[in-house]
Amino acid sequence: MPQSLLQSLRKLNVWVAVLVGIMLLVCAGFILLDILLRQLGSSFGGTDEISGYAMAIATSWGMAFTMLELGHVRIDLMRSRMATRGRALLDLMSMLVLTATITLIAVQCWPVVAGSLKNASTANTPLETPLALVQIPWFAGWAWFAAMAWLTFVAAVVLVLRGQFEETESAIGAFAEQDALL
Amino acid sequence: MIVYVSAGLLALLTLSIPVGIVLFLLGLGVDSFFSPFPLIRGLGNLVWSSSNSATLIAIPFFVLLGEILVRSGVATRTYSALDKWVSWLPGGLIHANIATATMFSATSGSSVATSATVATVAMPQAERLGYDPKLFSGAIAAGGTLGIMIPPSINLIVYGFLTQSSIPQLFLAGLVPGIGLALLFVLVTALICMARPNLGGERRTFPLSKMLGALTDLLPIIVLFTVIIGTIYNGWATPTEAAAVGVAGALAIAAAFGGVSFKMLMESLTGTIKVTSMIMLVVIGASFLNFTLASAGLGTELRNFLEGLGMTPLMTILVVVLIYIVLGFFIETLSLMVVTIPIIVPLVEAQGYDTIWFGILMIVLIEMALITPPVGLNLYVVQGARKSGNMGEVMLGAVPYVLVMLAMAAALIAFPQIALFLPSVL
Repeated sequence: MPQSLLQSLRKLNVWVAVLVGIMLLVCAGFILLDILLRQLGSSFGGTDEISGYAMAIATSWGMAFTMLELGHVRIDLMRSRMATRGRALLDLMSMLVLTATITLIAVQCWPVVAGSLKNASTANTPLETPLALVQIPWFAGWAWFAAMAWLTFVAAVVLVLRGQFEETESAIGAFAEQDALL
Repeated sequence: MIVYVSAGLLALLTLSIPVGIVLFLLGLGVDSFFSPFPLIRGLGNLVWSSSNSATLIAIPFFVLLGEILVRSGVATRTYSALDKWVSWLPGGLIHANIATATMFSATSGSSVATSATVATVAMPQAERLGYDPKLFSGAIAAGGTLGIMIPPSINLIVYGFLTQSSIPQLFLAGLVPGIGLALLFVLVTALICMARPNLGGERRTFPLSKMLGALTDLLPIIVLFTVIIGTIYNGWATPTEAAAVGVAGALAIAAAFGGVSFKMLMESLTGTIKVTSMIMLVVIGASFLNFTLASAGLGTELRNFLEGLGMTPLMTILVVVLIYIVLGFFIETLSLMVVTIPIIVPLVEAQGYDTIWFGILMIVLIEMALITPPVGLNLYVVQGARKSGNMGEVMLGAVPYVLVMLAMAAALIAFPQIALFLPSVL
């Protein structure tokens, strides 16, 4: 049961990652067009601003995918010296700390959106982008990350309680650092 | 406060809590214990403003560029092409390792991906041609580290963002030390192999026609690198725009070599998101810690701390170098860089040093961290790819290159112009 939950979360977030990736590709294409237009003496205007929004949204929505792929970098100096059970408990603790922190971040991000909504704020740029328009998807990404973290944490707790430490490791453990790329 | 942050950092990192989260927790700690007013109210705005950045979007673009080149098999072609050009040197194929790693990392900006690719392609050749596995694999691990120095470098983008220094200037400053390191690696390899010819394997020369033929595999990458760097330096494009051009260029090269498929595109995109989010969690965490430290008065405390120690600027730099060498045994590139920036950079700045110059010095030290045991990411990657022998051999083989890096760090301290000359004239 917890494993099938984790599997579906992973599948779901692969699609999220692909969508985010496509958004970034579109953004790159947009930038290229703008460079070409500039050579012809024209410009879309505001490419910088739009790439910034794209980056904020890509960042928040990519987080859960990276978490489920065990991509968030950890220092496993002590962890790698522990036995399977100790490692599973350490991973669980680490996952709880991550989940709590991300929840706090998501909660603290809401006032930013609420403020923009209340004041109908627009960006201080020629585009005058209504900020809520870009901040709502950005906030939703952090909320999504928090929700995914809680679900993963619960699944991991069940696995630990059942004594399935190996499965816990593949759910919330750490890959050997060399797989983290960079 | 400095003691609290340093101790907390080490304790939380040892518990193997994700690095980005550790930085947030430390920031929250600084907020509750050292700040006269609640900083947490600024958290949401900070998360927004540190990810809403047209500068940082260059990171996923450069990662994607590298993913496309690596996954489409361009690296393999580059390696065999470079083999034809450099294998006449004493040390033969080892120079192809260094050259491929240099060229690749120059375009892709990722050290580990580069080492992994080169190691996979090169290792079978080493056994076939009778090379000493130690020096051969050490050279791959060391060559791969150059990616974070030679522009475009993702690490330099992150450094520039967190210290608010100019990224084009950092790129310019990294050019000479980066290429200098690559040339020194080649020189040292040749010298070692002249002294001990049995380490180097067979030297091979290829007919000119084959060398020229290989150029078709090399030129696209060289053109791509020149376009990316050239447009930034000429002021035609920002680093972000150059990165977008780079993505298009990489796709075109991959397509020309027949390496583009649906599967490869999907893998490149998800791989990019994975690496980008990993970097961004750490970057946002560091921005928050930076913000809380600055608001709680780190500047004043650092000044008092330094006056109390009575160290000269040179002594400070030497201590900082020592700190990086020691931490570098255990912590890796990006984490090492990001967790130290909030404390070390203001400290170095307070002693009157240039942040651009220090960025380059820091990158040399961080490159060294990649190939110093017990935790040296590139050593593991190369060992993972070669599937025989033991880790100790790779470590031993990397020693000459570690010494070269130390020499480069010393040279940068003695002659800051190595890094600062180009930014000052262009």
